[in-house]
Parts: sequence; C-alpha cells; structure tokens
Amino acid sequence: MSRYRDLVPALVAVVVATALYAGFLAAVGVPRAGSLLGHSLGIVGLTLMLATETLYSLRKRAMRRPWGSMRAWLRFHMATGIVGGWLVVLHAAGSFQGLAGWLAAMTVIVVGSGFIGRYIYTAVPRTADGVMVEAQVLQAQLLAVRAELSPLEAGRSASVAIGRADERAAQRRLGQLERQISALRWARRSLATWHTIHIPLGMVLFVTAFVHVAASVYYSTLLR
Amino acid sequence: MARPLGCLTGSALIAAGLASAAILAIAVATGNGVFSPGELSAARGTTRGGVASHAELGTRCDACHAPIWSGDRMADRCRACHTEVATEIATRSGLHGTIAGADDCRDCHTDHRGPNASLTVVDLARFPHDQMGFSLQAHSVSIASGATTCEACHPGSLSTFAVASCAACHQRLDATYLAAHEADFGTSCLACHDGLETYGKGFAHATFPLTGGHGGRACAACHHGATTLVALKDAPTACVTCHLSDDIHAGRLGTACADCHTPASWSGASLDHAATGFALTGGHASPTCDACHPAGRFAGTPTTCIGCHKADDAHNGSFGTDCGACHKATTWSDVTFDHAKSGFALTGAHATASCQQCHIGGVFTAIPTACVACHPRPASHTTGFSNTCQSCHTTRAWTPATFNGPHSFPMSHGGAGGVCSTCHPSTFAAWTCTACHSTASMAAQHSGVSGYSATGCIRCHPTGSGGD
Repeated sequence: MSRYRDLVPALVAVVVATALYAGFLAAVGVPRAGSLLGHSLGIVGLTLMLATETLYSLRKRAMRRPWGSMRAWLRFHMATGIVGGWLVVLHAAGSFQGLAGWLAAMTVIVVGSGFIGRYIYTAVPRTADGVMVEAQVLQAQLLAVRAELSPLEAGRSASVAIGRADERAAQRRLGQLERQISALRWARRSLATWHTIHIPLGMVLFVTAFVHVAASVYYSTLLR
Repeated sequence: MARPLGCLTGSALIAAGLASAAILAIAVATGNGVFSPGELSAARGTTRGGVASHAELGTRCDACHAPIWSGDRMADRCRACHTEVATEIATRSGLHGTIAGADDCRDCHTDHRGPNASLTVVDLARFPHDQMGFSLQAHSVSIASGATTCEACHPGSLSTFAVASCAACHQRLDATYLAAHEADFGTSCLACHDGLETYGKGFAHATFPLTGGHGGRACAACHHGATTLVALKDAPTACVTCHLSDDIHAGRLGTACADCHTPASWSGASLDHAATGFALTGGHASPTCDACHPAGRFAGTPTTCIGCHKADDAHNGSFGTDCGACHKATTWSDVTFDHAKSGFALTGAHATASCQQCHIGGVFTAIPTACVACHPRPASHTTGFSNTCQSCHTTRAWTPATFNGPHSFPMSHGGAGGVCSTCHPSTFAAWTCTACHSTASMAAQHSGVSGYSATGCIRCHPTGSGGD
C-alpha cells in the first residue's frame, strides 16, 4: 500500500470537495457553471491546474537552489492535478457543450495521463532522496560485481578471495542490477514517450482553458 | 544550457499553436458557436427577427450577443425582437414596465440551458411579486410540493396566470369552504385577494369592526354578491341596509339604529330618552317601555300628561288637561298648585284651610269666590251690611274688621273712636245710647219733651248733637 500513500492527501481533498458539492446539490441544486459557486469551482480548479503545470516543472529545473525534495514536489504536483481536475469537472456541472465541454474532457485526459506518467515514473530506480539513478552508475556497479565474480567463472581458483556466501550475494546483486538496467531503459523510453504526449496535452488544455476564460469574460461580462 | 520549462519546449509550443489554430478555425466555422455553453431554447413563439425560437438562430450568436464594437448591449438585441416588451418598459406598463428597466432582461431571462428549459429563471426570494399586485407572503409554501414554485400558479407561462391553480390547492385545504366561498364571491380570486392575509384569518376588518353579533358571520351575509375588491369595500355600513327586516319598529323610529342599539344584541337597547324631547324623570324612569309604548309602538307616542294619564285623572277632567300645572313627574301627590292662578289666592286663613273645606265633594270647578258663598252671614250682620264682607274683613281673620261706613250716625260720637261696641254692645243691628247717657239722667233732662222715649234718641238726635 505504500505505493499509494502519495495519493492520500489528494483523495482526501477530493472526498471533502465532493461532500461539500453533494451538500449544495441536495440543498439547492446543481450549481451551474455560471453561478457564483460554479465560477468559484472553475477558478480554483484552473489555478490548481496551473500550479500543477508550473511549480513542479520549475523545481525540477531549480538544481542550483533546490527548495524542498523532488518527492514532496511530486506529491504536490499529483495532489493539485487531481484536485484541480476534479474541481474543473464539477465546474462543468454535467454540461459538456462546445469548447467548455472539450476543456472538461481535456482535463480528464491530462489528469489520466498524469496517472500513467506517475506509474512510469515510479519504475525508474532512485536514490534515497528520490533522485533518479543514472544509467552510468548502475553500469559501473554492474561491472564491479562482474569483476568480483569473474575469478569464479574462471575455475574457482579465487575461492580464497571470496567465500560462498559472498558469491551468492554477488550473484543476487548482479541479477538485480541487470533488471534495474533493463527497467531503467524501459522507463526512460516510456517516460520520454509519455512526456512527448503529456506536455503537449497539457499545453492544449491550458490554451483551451485560457480561450474558454476569455470567451466567458467576453460574453458574460463585456457584452452585457 | 538549462532545459526550458515543459510548457516552453518545442512540442509544447507546437501543440499550443495547433490548439489555438484549431479553436480559431472552429470558432470561425461555427460562428463562435463553439463558445456556446449549451443548446438554445426551442420553445416556439411569435416569429420575430425571422425566427420563431432561439434555437432557430443556430450559430448566429451576434443576434443576441452584439459584437463589442457595435455599441449595442444584449438588452438592446432582446428589445429589438421583443418589441412588445420594449413598449411595456418604455411606457412603464404591464409586467415588464412594472418590474424591469431597459437593461434588466438578464435578471430574469437566460438561455443556453437546453431546448426544453425555461427562458425565465426567477429567484422567488428576490422577485418583486408584490408589484404584480399579488404578494407571495402567504404563499411561500405550497400544499402540493413544499416550497412554492412559479409553475404552481403559472403552469403554462410565467407571463400568464391560471386562476384555476388557486382552486387546485385551496380545494385540498378546505373543499367545503372553497365551494361556499366560490358560491358567494365567484371564482375570480384575484379580484379581491392580493396574496397577503388581507382577507384571510388575519384580516382586521378595521373599517367595520366585527364585534358582537357581527363576529363569526359568513362574509357573504353582509357582502352580498360582491365579486370584486371594489364591491367588497362598497359594502354598506348602515344598520338598516342589512337589518331592515329585523326592525321591530317597522321604520317608525327612523334608521339610526345605533342611537339605541349596539352590535352586541338587539335587546338591551340604551336610549337617551331626553333626546326624544321627553326625558324620563321621576315616575317615568322606572316603568317598562311597554307602559308608554304598548305593542312596540314608539312613533306618535303622546308627550302630554293626559295623553297617557287620562284614566288616572282624579279630577275627572275638571282641571283640564294641563296636569303639569300642578303635578310633578315624581308622583301624583307631589303637587305644587299656585292657587292664585285660579283667580283666588289662598291668603290668610285660606292658606291653611284644607282643600275639602272649599272644594266639597272634590268639586274644583265653578267654586264661587264670594265670601258669602262659604261664609254665612253671622247673626250680628243680619241687617245693615252688604255681602261684600271684604269691605270690612280680611282673609286673615274675621276680627278685627275695619268698618268705614257709610254709618248714618257719626262714628266718632262721644269719643267712640270707631269702637263699635260702644254703641253696639251686643249686635250691630241694635244700638244703645244709655251706656253713656243713663236712662235716669236722660229722663230727667227730657221731662218736658213730649213723646220722649229712652230708645228713640235718634229720632230727635240723628247726628248725636244736642241741638238736633
């Protein structure tokens, strides 16, 4: 279950928001997107989505003056993405008409894409502080282990240098490193592919969102 | 070189550009319809602007959403098609002229909520329904569904009202009452009711307090056949308009019932009898009304004593009909008679005499006023006195009397000084001279007078003088 622990804050926020929404639904009715509550949901949802898009990305690039661990910022990224996306869906109030409907659908798609990316991301071997293990490091470790085992493979003449227990441990470590290198290759390829899709999707989402906001302001405010 | 933000990568920027281009293209292709938040209403009405419903506008967004450079506002576009509404607002008449300004369309109307959704969305809590002439104060809750909805009274259109919807709910409240109420006042509920409790259980009826016998009566008992507010207010308030048939006086006492009666009851009337010109004082205060007003006859009741008391006249009419000249209203015996008015003032001894002494047998008329009628001539007055006793006597007493003549013999003779008994010691019809002139002395002096008699002095001395 520890692999789902990062999602707990986001799920708690979603449950709370849903409960409040259900209360309003029972007491008053569906809050239309153009109502005070509807607009509030949309504005907060968009703000959280913008935070999702930008803050984690900025942290990833702030190597010289890092503030907070990458793991913490990833948790924040997922939480704001899930909660913001859910608020956007609630803002739609079941109406998926025109650009606004596409925007809601895009939001769901991008959040879904984020879930996929999250699982690819977790497959990448990391150090204790969450930094991805570089392939060269693994490769060096692999070569070292193989060097330990090479005398054995040459005719067991080196049994004096290495005991049987150490031999078994080295064998396990060798297999582990080979799997990690294989996983790292897959994860890096997948992650690169995912980034190629997820980031443009996010951009389409935000362009659509900005147009939607601009159109709403134009039609409901400027043209009154 | 630092890696750019994800959103600034080449693929992201390309995606953003493609998305923008796609949205622009679709917006152009759909006439900005892509920005529509929902389908337009398909409710059909009068054809105006070439369409019979908003849905028929399709993607002509600018039909309602005027481009910002046009100078128009949405309300201008609304009024351009809905000219009758524009007229109402301009002339401050009708529904819209009453509650809305020229730019207020969107306060109540909306669209893009689907083909079957209402174009009117009214917040009941804010809608000035009072200005429509009907307050929702007493209709906040519907018997059918809890909170009252617009459709409960306006099932077809919010701009029309179905009076049948009143009966639909109120029949469930009290069908019996409603049937009677409709029978009395008709079915045009709004003709009288304004949605307040004005004519309901809280109605004060202040202009005509429903006290006494008026309380708890059916409205129609007084508001006969009234089917409008004006007619209700015109209900007469004069007693006789409703109670003419109850008038036991048959109109003889006029129409000011309230002068005597109160709404509490017809009985127990309180009348200021003095206002009739006949104050009930003394013995008149205690008898019942019937004593003077037999058989409820009030008009024409006599106000003279004899009018009612003829049978009580102990004088049998001998004193005429002006009883009040002697009697008071207290009792018959409380008499204050000024006898002088009869021409015979009771002075002297007459004042203390009993009535019967003069009015023998209760006879009061034709009583003679001459002294001799009551006072027989005394023996002392058998001759020499007329019947005018008052010439000498007063009513104070028979004596002393004052006699001033005529007297054939000087009354001062011999120093009598008017003392009658000097010469008339026993009776006024006889006199004597010998009381002063002794018989012996006179006989001696008249010894030589032929025919001298001691009792015949007057024949030779008619003036009492010696030289006669």
